[in-house]
Formats: sequence, structure tokens, C-alpha cells
Amino acid sequence: MSAAFIECLDVGKIYEGRTGSVEALRGVSLACAEGEFVCLLGLSGCGKSTLLQMIGGLEEPSSGQIVVAGRELSGPSPATAIVFQDHGLFPWMTVAQNVAFNMKARGVGAKQRRERAAEMLALTGLSSFATRYPHELSGGMRQRVGIARALTTKPRALLMDEPFGALDAQTRARLQHELLEIWAAQRTTVLFVTHSIDEAVFLADRILVFTPRPGQLAADVTVDLPRPRTPRSPGFAALAAKLRGLLGTEEGSE
Amino acid sequence: MGRVHRHAVRLTRRFMSASPLGRLTGLLPLIGLILAWQAAVMAQIYPPVLLPAPVRVANAFVLYGGDIVHNTLASLSRVVIGIGLAFVVGVPMGLLIGRFAWLDRLFDWSIQTFRSVPPISLIPMAMLFFGIGDTPAIVLIFLAGLWPLLLNTIFGVRTIERTLLKVAAAAGAGEALILRDIVWPAALPSIFTGLRLAVGGGWLTVVTAEMIAVKSGLGYMILNAQMTFRPELIFAGIIVIGAIGLLADFAVQRLRRIACSWQEGLTVQGR
Ligand SMILES: Nc1ncnc2c1ncn2[C@@H]1O[C@H](COP(=O)(O)OP(=O)(O)OP(=O)(O)O)[C@@H](O)[C@H]1O
Ligand SMILES: [Mg+2]
Repeated sequence: MSAAFIECLDVGKIYEGRTGSVEALRGVSLACAEGEFVCLLGLSGCGKSTLLQMIGGLEEPSSGQIVVAGRELSGPSPATAIVFQDHGLFPWMTVAQNVAFNMKARGVGAKQRRERAAEMLALTGLSSFATRYPHELSGGMRQRVGIARALTTKPRALLMDEPFGALDAQTRARLQHELLEIWAAQRTTVLFVTHSIDEAVFLADRILVFTPRPGQLAADVTVDLPRPRTPRSPGFAALAAKLRGLLGTEEGSE
Repeated sequence: MGRVHRHAVRLTRRFMSASPLGRLTGLLPLIGLILAWQAAVMAQIYPPVLLPAPVRVANAFVLYGGDIVHNTLASLSRVVIGIGLAFVVGVPMGLLIGRFAWLDRLFDWSIQTFRSVPPISLIPMAMLFFGIGDTPAIVLIFLAGLWPLLLNTIFGVRTIERTLLKVAAAAGAGEALILRDIVWPAALPSIFTGLRLAVGGGWLTVVTAEMIAVKSGLGYMILNAQMTFRPELIFAGIIVIGAIGLLADFAVQRLRRIACSWQEGLTVQGR
């Protein structure tokens, strides 16, 4: 086995539904080194969430195998933490309780939970909202709570499913910057799902491009631009144009 | 004219919805009913032995005050015990049945069968098994409350957002933590819907059961008043039954609002 931290070998997924089966993914092989920031880029419905959930141990692959931190998956790995597309906050828990949940699930003591949650709330700029309920927060703040919760258990890999998809451009840009800062400080591996080309180019060390029906890995693009990146730089624009071609948007499939 | 009218309608609406005093508008139909009752008495549609005047009924509360209080407490305690038992049994059962599909497959048909039997139809059997007294009444109230609590709890568990269970699975949460911190709070609004129905059903059942299987309580008092020709006491009993039904409903809703305060702003319910 290689030194990859996350590795998928010929992974396929078929959902058996009442109206027949859907092949969500076919023959996906990828490797992701520790500390790498990798974006999964693809149009809606090409199986990005499916792949991320399988790597998170929440769905079982129909074929192939997934290895995380040197172990073949059977259920969620303690080395990973997920940030969900629709944030997945418990509406009956305060922000602080939400952030502490993953630690509670692992049996971390109450005092330690409180301290670590406060730390992560400070890191994500949420300290003054600790006692609020999720419905009292804005969309951007909710995503931060989701990120803070994922960080509490010091995961070696952060699996993020379009965490900024539902936000306005300014908020999105700010959270992208903050995420890069957190990533630089914590040195975690990040697997980040997005359908935004600009977001992928802005964030990633490497971009994996997926095409739909069935979802397949179409290209593996290394991003060689120095950080901080700006969409106005020529390198950025060229790469974005290349990705647009790979995604096949001009065929108008979506 | 039209504008004035519209203005008046708007003012009335605002009064009825906004001010705390506005909530008392719910009393208006009841006051109307008492006026109509008084009118019917004055028109002598029925003889006074059948339809006593409101004043006489009011007087009955003074005359038979001790009786009324004693019987009311008897009925209330039966409902509290019966519904309390139904809650303690029905809610945990519902949480488990809602959570585990195999338990649902095991129990679904039985639940659907037994919940179709009106508790009142079980009075004769309850009397055979438990005689006359508190036990048969409490058993019947328990059954009247069990099904709505059980079914609404199961429903509540079913409506949990899938993502939330995934969060728990990804975190490696154990089943006990999932039940306590996720399934139970997520189902709580539904459980309160069940409790509201259970309390209503239990109150209906206690009065009926007391007319047949018990020698105390409001149901018994009303039946006894009929046999001793005291129509004003019958009316007083009915008023107490209705008023307690109303207050019990208030209490459950108030409790719901406290327990599910996190829901404020999520739904239009509970304003
Ligand atoms: N639980 C499920 N049961 C059946 N089919 C599913 C299920 N989840 C996803 N699918 C199907 O699998 C395919 C891929 O879905 P997936 O959610 O992974 O796409 P995605 O790339 O994340 O899309 P989006 O960008 O819109 O989130 C879709 O065709 C979808 O209908
Ligand atoms: Mg998705």
C-alpha cells in the first residue's frame, strides 16, 4: 500500500430504489496524501456526496474498497469528520452543545468537552453565540458551527460536502479564507466537495473532476498557483477555463 | 361606510390576535351560550325541573361545593395516574418501535388492531376483571391514552431528519446517546400532540367509566344527580367537566411551549 491517507480502489455505488437502480458511481480510484487539500468537482448529481459519504463510512460501496488511515473501512473512521451539505445541526441543542456532540459521542468528559468546544468556537468566531439555538443563526454561522463541531475531535481528515453552497458570494469568500487559515494551522487533510470551479481553484492543491451518469473520475488536475490566489490572475483564469472544458458544461448537460 | 367597516374589521382582528386581553375573545361564544340559555329559561321552553336557570346552577356550586370538589379530585387523580402510566409505557415503546424497523414489523398489526377498540367498549370486561372502583377506571384511561401517545411517538421518530442520524453515526454515537439526545428531543413535539389527544381521551373515558364502574367522580355525581332529581347539579357537573377539559389542554400546551422552546421560530405552531 502507498503512503496515501485516503485511498479508493475501483469504487462503485449502485442505489437500489423502488423505481429501479441508480448507478451513482463507477470505477473511482483515487489517493489523497496526508495534509493535502483536495476538491471533488462535478455537476449536480454526479455522485460527489455519495463518494464523500462512503469515505466517511456512512454508505457502503457496492464494489471496490476504501482505505482510510491504513485501514479498510467498515463504518465511520475516528480519523475523519464530516461537514454536511445541509449543516446537520441539532435544532434542540445550543451552539455549544452542538459543537460538543462529537466529543460526547466519543465519551470525552464534560469538562474537557466544554473547554475544547469553547476553543473551537473561538477559532470560528462564534464565542458570543454559544448559548443560541441554530434557528437564531444565519446560514453562514450555521456552517461555521458545523465546521467547529467537526474540528473538535482533531480529525486527521475533514470531509466537507459543499459547505458554502447556500451562501452569498461575500460570506462564501470570507469562509473560504477562514477555512484555508484553519487548514494551514491544523495541517489536516481536507476533502472538499463543490460544484463551483472558482471555489475549487481558489482552495485546492488538487482537483478531481467528476462527470455524471454514471459518476466517474474524469480528470486529476494539480493546482500550481501560489496562495493567496485571486480569480483575476491569468493562471487562475486559464485553469478555470480548462476545468470548464473538462466538466463539459458547454454540452449543456445540466 | 365600506371603509369604516374594513377599518373596524382590521381593528378587531388586531385585537383578537395581538393583545393578551385579545385571547379572552375565546370566551365570547360561551357567554353567548349562557345568554341563550337564560333566554330559553325565561321563555319557559322546558319546565325548570329539566332546564334550571343559570342562577340556580351557579347556586349549586355553593350548595354542593364540597361534593363537587371531592368528585372532581377523584376524577382528576384517576386521569393523572392513568395518563401518567400511559406516558411511561407508551413513549419509551414508541421511541424504540420508531427507531428499530424489526420492532415495528413485530408490533404494527397488533397496535392497529387494539387501537381500533374504543376503551368504553371494554368497560364490561374491565368490571369483570377488576370489579368496581379505581382499578377498572384507571386501566381504561391508561388504554385511552396509550394509543395516541404510542402512535404519535412513533410518528415523531419517523420524521427525524436523516442528516441528523448521519451526524450521529459519523460521530460514532452509541444507541443510548442517540435515543436520549436525538430521538427523544426530535420526537418531543409529536409526543406532546399525543399527550394532548391522550389527556382529552382520558378525560372523556373517566367520566363515562364513572357512570358505570365507579362510585365516585364527576361521572358518578352526574348520574346520581339525575336519579335524585337535581338538574342544577347535572349542569354544574357538566360545566366542571368542560372547564377542566379546557384547562388541561392549556396546561399541556403551556408545557409543550416550555419543553420545545427550541422550536420557536421554526414552525408557525404554538403562538
Ligand atoms: N439514498 C439514495 N437512494 C437512491 N439514489 C440516490 C441516493 N443518494 C443519491 N442517489 C442518486 O445518486 C446520484 C448521485 O447523487 P449525489 O447526491 O451523490 O450527487 P451530488 O454530486 O452530491 O449532487 P449535488 O451536487 O446536487 O449535491 C443521483 O442520481 C442521486 O439521485
Ligand atoms: Mg451533494
